[in-house]
This record gives sequence, C-alpha cells and structure tokens, in this order.
Amino acid sequence: MQFFGGSEISPSPPVPTASGNNAHMIYVFNRNGVCLLYREWNRPLHTLNAQQDHKLMFGLLFSLKSLTAKMDPTNLDKGNLGVPQLPGQGCSFHSFRTNTYKLSFMETPSGIKIILVTHPRTGDLRDSLKYIYNLYVEYVAKNPLYTPGTPIRCDLFDTTLDQYVRSIA
Amino acid sequence: MIGVSKMKPYTNVLDRPLSKGKLEVSLSAFAFLFSELVQYNQTQVDNIAELERRLEDAGYAVGARVLELLCHRDKGNRRETRLLGILSFVHSTVWKVLFGKVADSLEKGTEHDDEYMISEKELLVNRFISIPKDMGTFNCGAFVAGIVRGVLDSAGFPAIVTAHFVPMDGQQRPRTTILIKFAEEVLQREARLG
Amino acid sequence: MAPAGPRFGDAIFANVERVNAELFTLTYGAIVRQLLTDLEEVEEVNKQLDQMGYNIGIRLIDEFLAKSNVSRCVDFKETAEMIAKVGFKMFLGVSASVTNWDADGTCCGIVLEDNPLVDFVELPDTCQGLYYCNILSGVIRGALEMVSMKTEITWVRDMLRGDDAFELQVKLLKQVPEEYPYKDDE
Repeated sequence: MQFFGGSEISPSPPVPTASGNNAHMIYVFNRNGVCLLYREWNRPLHTLNAQQDHKLMFGLLFSLKSLTAKMDPTNLDKGNLGVPQLPGQGCSFHSFRTNTYKLSFMETPSGIKIILVTHPRTGDLRDSLKYIYNLYVEYVAKNPLYTPGTPIRCDLFDTTLDQYVRSIA
Repeated sequence: MIGVSKMKPYTNVLDRPLSKGKLEVSLSAFAFLFSELVQYNQTQVDNIAELERRLEDAGYAVGARVLELLCHRDKGNRRETRLLGILSFVHSTVWKVLFGKVADSLEKGTEHDDEYMISEKELLVNRFISIPKDMGTFNCGAFVAGIVRGVLDSAGFPAIVTAHFVPMDGQQRPRTTILIKFAEEVLQREARLG
Repeated sequence: MAPAGPRFGDAIFANVERVNAELFTLTYGAIVRQLLTDLEEVEEVNKQLDQMGYNIGIRLIDEFLAKSNVSRCVDFKETAEMIAKVGFKMFLGVSASVTNWDADGTCCGIVLEDNPLVDFVELPDTCQGLYYCNILSGVIRGALEMVSMKTEITWVRDMLRGDDAFELQVKLLKQVPEEYPYKDDE
C-alpha cells in the first residue's frame, strides 16, 4: 500500500467483497467540536492517536466549509475567509473523493456534523447521512439516559447504525 | 390580529366539559418529557433503587388520576370490585387509553397465587432507551409500574408492583414484565366474595 | 427552505407517531407535583421547569430539524413563524400564532389557542406564583440556542392566572456565529 503522493500509480483499492461493507469509518461531532461518536469498520492504517485524529478531522471540515463558501461564484454576500458564519449560512460541500477514499459530510443547523468515509466508488450518500441523523434523533436524543454533549454509548444506536452502515452499497 | 380575536374566554376547569380523551400529542413530545423526568430524578438520588422508587411515585400520581378519569368517562362512575375485573380493566382499558393498545399479555404467576404479570414486548417508556452497564437492572418501566399501582390502589386493590426486563429467545431486546403482587387483604376479600 | 404554509405543520403531525394527550398531560402534572414537593418554593419550581424545558429544547431541536427538513431560517421573523406554525403543531398537535412584533423585528409574542399541558389543571391558592407551563419557555430558549439564537422568554398572558390566552414574549438578544471550538493547536 502506498501512503505518500504518487496518485497516478497508486491503484484504487479493490471494492471489498468479503464483508460487503464499503465503509471505513464514521465520525459524529457536535457544534462544540466534541466527537460524540467514532466507529471504524475498515481502517488498517492509524497514524495519529484518537484525539488528534478527531481534532484533525473536525479542523479539516471547518476550514473546508469556510473555503468552499468563500469560493462560491454565485453568492454576493460572503465574508472574508475565516470570518465566522452562522450555521447554515452560505453554501457547503457534501463530499470529496480521493483516489483511495470518499468522504461524505452533512451538517445540521444545530451544528451536528456527520462524516462517513467510504470506498471511493460509493455513490451519493446524502440520503444515508440523513438517515443516520434520524437514527441519532431516535436512539440518542430521545434516550432518557443520554446526557447531551457527551460521547454516545447507546447499544440501540450502535447496533442499528452498524447494521445500516454495513448495508450501504 | 390573528389568533387573539377568536380566543375562547377563560373558564374555570370545573366548568369545562371533561375532554373526551381523543386529543393526541406526538410520541416524541412525550419521550422528551419522560427523559427529563428521568434525568431530573437522577439528580435527586444516589442509587438505582431510589431512582426507580421516585419514578414509581410519579407514575402512581398518574395512575390514580387515570382511574378517576376513566371511571367517570367510560363506566358511568362504576368501579370494578373483583380481582380479575380490575386486572382486565388495567390490561385492556387503561393500556389502550395510555399506550394506544391492549397490553401483550396478562398472566397469573405460576409460583404464587397472589401474583399476576402484565407483559409488553416494547413498553412505550423503554422504546428509546439504552441502559449503560453501570446501571445494572434499572428499568424505566418503574414509572408504568407506578401507574398500575396507582390505578389498583385507588380502586381498593393495594399491591406491590414492580417492572422487570425478561430476555426473550431470538429477540435482541428483552420484554418488560410488570409484576403485581396483591396485598393479603385483597385475596381474603376475593375469597369471601367467592 | 421548506414551505411553511399553515398545512405544513399538520402534514408532519399526521405522519409522526402520536400518543394520547392525557398520558402527556398527566405525566407533566406528576413532574410539577414532584418539583413542588422537592423544592417547596414556587419560585424555585419555576426555575427548575424552565431548566427542564431548556434541557428538552437542546435535544428536541434535532428531532424538529430531522422531521421537518428545514435547513435554515433566513431571519428571526421566519423562525418565530416556524415555531408557532410547525413546532407547536408537530409536537403538541396545537397551532400557535405570532403577534405583537416590535419595530425592528427582534421581539414578538407567541399566542397559544390550546395548550395540552393544562387540561385538568387548576392552581391552588398556595401556588399562585407558579408559572405552570414554564417548561415551554425553556424548550423554545434551548431549541433556539442550538441554532445560534440567544433569546429571552417571558410569559405575558397565562390562562391559569385568569388571562384570556397563553402568550409568550420571545426576544432575540443576539445571533452567535459559529466559531472554531478549540483554543489553539498544542
């Protein structure tokens, strides 16, 4: 496996067949940058400790969002790069793809960010992310024993999420 | 101005007709309210037994009022006087009004004559819950146990009522069983009535 | 932006799972009764009800967003309409109306025609200072805070205190932009 540069020669990873699972990992953040959930299904390489990894991911999304809004050719009303925006303000990206993976992203006006990293050939996952948000609402937000803003430890959510993510083509 | 002009004038609660019980709110509204009941009570206790007792107390207050409402509305102020009558009233009428369905089952305990069990595959209050390991056998159904005790007690059938998870073969989630253990006086009276 | 016509809230309410309002009303009554026993002071109960509402609001906002598909509201006016027409309908099955806007559009009244919290309720003499429905003001405050609006909410009219309606005054204090949450990169 090749980690650095050389995108032309690095072949795309084969579509995993054994498990029928295309997902690598999922992150859920709240508006304060707290990582509420991290799960991985297929991630052979870890280069950072978990905390650094989460922070890097959150930072990447934050900057990318700001950058994509700034680059928007259709919108007159945009601040300078780095000027904070209200949630939901401006445009936002919903996915990007490298030769080895695809990252799909959804953010709600309440600041919940859901990130799903999958095989690069996965299709549009916007509806899947919405569905995952609904699972979050059912089994996390309505769980009487869940304290908002803390890492999610809900069996019911874990099992349904796992089943669902494994079923995403 | 919209809304204000067509406002109904204030009437004292006793002067208003008793509602027919057909109004609905979203299940989520109830789920969020119930969550807050649990969360608030967690701040008031330092163990699970105490938490369940407080939820049961809250349920008791609901149960006592449900009985009054239903007797008044559905039964022309008559009350059940026999054990099986009141049990079936709880299992069907009360359940239907509160949870929109008759309870899954009503059984007599096999080991003790004074015990009865109402079981529900997915009790409304346990619908969205995941119990963390450190909370052991905690069951939010204590609230429903309280409702049942409130109904029974107010109808003259004092009992100890508790909620338990019962694992089911081939099911991921356990069902909840509400265990009713009637006071001795209830069984004696029942025996006299023959 | 989803359409916010008067029927929009009805459509969502028709599609969500519902329970008998009496279970909800009686459970709320049991909560208020517990608080009155635990806290004794009516003023403390008002505070606790508001806090509980806030706790509900910060969770409930996600249900609202997920079920209504509302992506954002352009301004506070639209937000207030959304709460009254969609929010109240979707959760409590009742509609509310927005009135009494101030000149700069940052303060309005939300008027409730029906309120399922208060069926069967009569305030006893000992509880005259109680804002029985104070949980509602907390819910709105909490939910709006999650979409970056700091608000102040007060009761203007309360039927349990002899007024002809329930009216909450909602005042927008400020809108908080999203900020990078970590202090600095260590």
